[in-house]
Amino acid sequence: MKFSINRTQFIKTLNDVQRAISAKTTIPILTGLKLVLSQEGLTLTGSDADISIEATLATTDEKNQLTVEEPGAIVLPARFFSEIAKKLPEDQMTIAVGDNFQTTIRSGKSEFTINGLDANSYPHLPEIADQNPFSIATDVLKQLIRQTVIAVSNQESRPILTGVHLVLNSGEMLAVATDSHRLAQRKLTVSVPSDVNYDVIIPGKSLIELSRTLADGDETVEIRIAENQVLFKAGNLAFYSRLLEGNYPDTARLIPTSSSTQIEFNAPVLLAAIERASLLSHESRNNVVRLTLNTADNTAIIYGNSPDVGNVEETLQFENLTGEDLEISFNPDYMKDALRSFGQTAIMINFTAALRPFTLVPSEDQEHYIQLITPVRTF
Amino acid sequence: MAELFKIPMENDTSRKIIHIDMDAFYASIEEREQPELRQKPLVIARNPSDTGGKGVVTTANYVARQYGVHSAMSAQKAAELIPNHQAVFKAPNFPLYQSVSEQIHTIFHAVTDKIEPIAFDEAYLDVTKNKLGLTHTIDVVAYLQKAILKETQLVSSAGISYNKFLAKMASDYRKPAGRTLVLPEQAIAFLSRLPIEKFRGVGKKTAPRMQELGILTGADLLAQSEMMLIQNFGKLGYGLYRHVRGIDNRPVAYQRERKSIGNENTYGQPLISEEQVQTELKKLAIELERRLRKNQKHGLTVVLKVRNRQFETITKRKTFSEYVGKAAEIEAIAWEIWTTIGHAEAGIRLLGITVTNLAPQTFENITLPLYDWERE
Repeated sequence: MKFSINRTQFIKTLNDVQRAISAKTTIPILTGLKLVLSQEGLTLTGSDADISIEATLATTDEKNQLTVEEPGAIVLPARFFSEIAKKLPEDQMTIAVGDNFQTTIRSGKSEFTINGLDANSYPHLPEIADQNPFSIATDVLKQLIRQTVIAVSNQESRPILTGVHLVLNSGEMLAVATDSHRLAQRKLTVSVPSDVNYDVIIPGKSLIELSRTLADGDETVEIRIAENQVLFKAGNLAFYSRLLEGNYPDTARLIPTSSSTQIEFNAPVLLAAIERASLLSHESRNNVVRLTLNTADNTAIIYGNSPDVGNVEETLQFENLTGEDLEISFNPDYMKDALRSFGQTAIMINFTAALRPFTLVPSEDQEHYIQLITPVRTF
Repeated sequence: MAELFKIPMENDTSRKIIHIDMDAFYASIEEREQPELRQKPLVIARNPSDTGGKGVVTTANYVARQYGVHSAMSAQKAAELIPNHQAVFKAPNFPLYQSVSEQIHTIFHAVTDKIEPIAFDEAYLDVTKNKLGLTHTIDVVAYLQKAILKETQLVSSAGISYNKFLAKMASDYRKPAGRTLVLPEQAIAFLSRLPIEKFRGVGKKTAPRMQELGILTGADLLAQSEMMLIQNFGKLGYGLYRHVRGIDNRPVAYQRERKSIGNENTYGQPLISEEQVQTELKKLAIELERRLRKNQKHGLTVVLKVRNRQFETITKRKTFSEYVGKAAEIEAIAWEIWTTIGHAEAGIRLLGITVTNLAPQTFENITLPLYDWERE
């Protein structure tokens, strides 16, 4: 294998692929980066067994300045190789594989020789047939990920909850995540034939990495789903993730359909107040704040307490309050995560009772996005 | 030089502390149950001829002690010391001892709630204020010893002073059925007379080093400088310098918080399948949730203990950022740990789950009923 390439273009692609490569892996060859060279282009692959990323630098793309001298394949130690590539002196670099997988990297007057591994011993990426793919706008997918992954569980004791449940049914896509103390749900309309239906659970970690990998320039992401893998294709990039096995709980029944107290806030204003109230509660072992809503006085008061440090009380600024009086306690961290996911909008919070879950929805569109938080019972 | 680094010392002599030590507790209970044992050398240990010489003496009665038998000695050695195979060995009956200990604690509570239990047979009581309204501490002690004797037919020794260290030294001074009072003005004289081995922390290892330095009694210890003791004995030296001056301001640690709550079970018929293990873990988790709830606690760490047929015991823990207290969570975590350390084929004799890193459960984050079995 021998080729020369524009170093800046190469590093850009390498950075994407490297997201999938972990230094700590039980499979030694996965600490490596796989390079496959054909007349069409150079393909880079990285994987940690859960996530695999593949990206191609095409010969036809002039920016790549890719000259293929001899096609072939090699696996190089990712950490050393990427550091070398980033520190080479010239714009162009040449990579040549010699005997025993010894690989020479040249740029200007600098020459490195590093030990590579046989590309045939690298695991094969899953083959995912291209039947029934569907596409989503990149920014919509990134938003969906941002809105749901916050509710994913980080406890391995219930593996299924570490994923986002994605259901595609008759052109409606529903994404749900819950760690059993909160729940996030997003609905979308997707243009697919109505007989294309899916029900899968994608690991939250994979979605976070995907979201970081997707470039803003790519307009759409193509999604293909197989039995235990999902593939996201955008531009020159292919992102594979394993799927979680098992049955996701039926979450639809958990979302309250009515409410007895409603309050409307400007999300960033409430977020700032919750951040203040949680300054002290964080210090105590009881990370809880209390919200008191009084409809007759038209007041909303937040209270946080840490026995060792002190307490905080703040009269909240809100847009509108209706319904019954209520006193409710909750974990401020859950509230902060939820509020951040709304950005700069007005939101409605709907309560039913002090010990029942409450929901947050955008005031403008209460149909497509909902955050649910369970309260805290204090003794 | 020493003056530059003088650590201030305060001596709190305002308290009234009692140390109660039950005399030959386990042996005395056995004698009470079987009075014919009183005249025989009784050793609380499994008979070494049944254990192949293994085992240690937990207690011996006063007859056995005359032959030089003492606790922590090997049972085999005790058998050798007592001539003509007269020694009577009895395996300890801990549930019985515990129930007697609870009886004694009820008596303590009639006097004060500031009780720090050290073992089944030993406790410190802070009686600076006593519930009986007695003026003299000696009367409080007399009441306690009489009440214990009446309720349990057991004899105890008591030490009375103004701190825990002196109270313990005092209870040890005269045994059995002793009652020793050390007043603040007597403390230094009392301690000076004691052999160095009697001081807390001076054991088999330290005593010879003390003797090499010419420290044989409390008086010798009192003559040493603080720096010398710290240089030679570190933290122990720091403590000894104070103790020999009758200083020990540690409070009586009553209401000591529980550090962990656990539940374990031994299986006479070893478990041999993963299904059996799963069923047992579920049972243990349900009972553990009940215990945690009773104590209003939840914890950050779950520990699984597994013992196989070969008596190999493995424990493994997992710590979380959110408190755990629900049976379903405990079971799932225990099962997850099991999958990393357990092999049912090895035959499982014991399973135990413990929750530690406890905090008072003053709040509970309500959980969504995700699965049918979680619905209330």
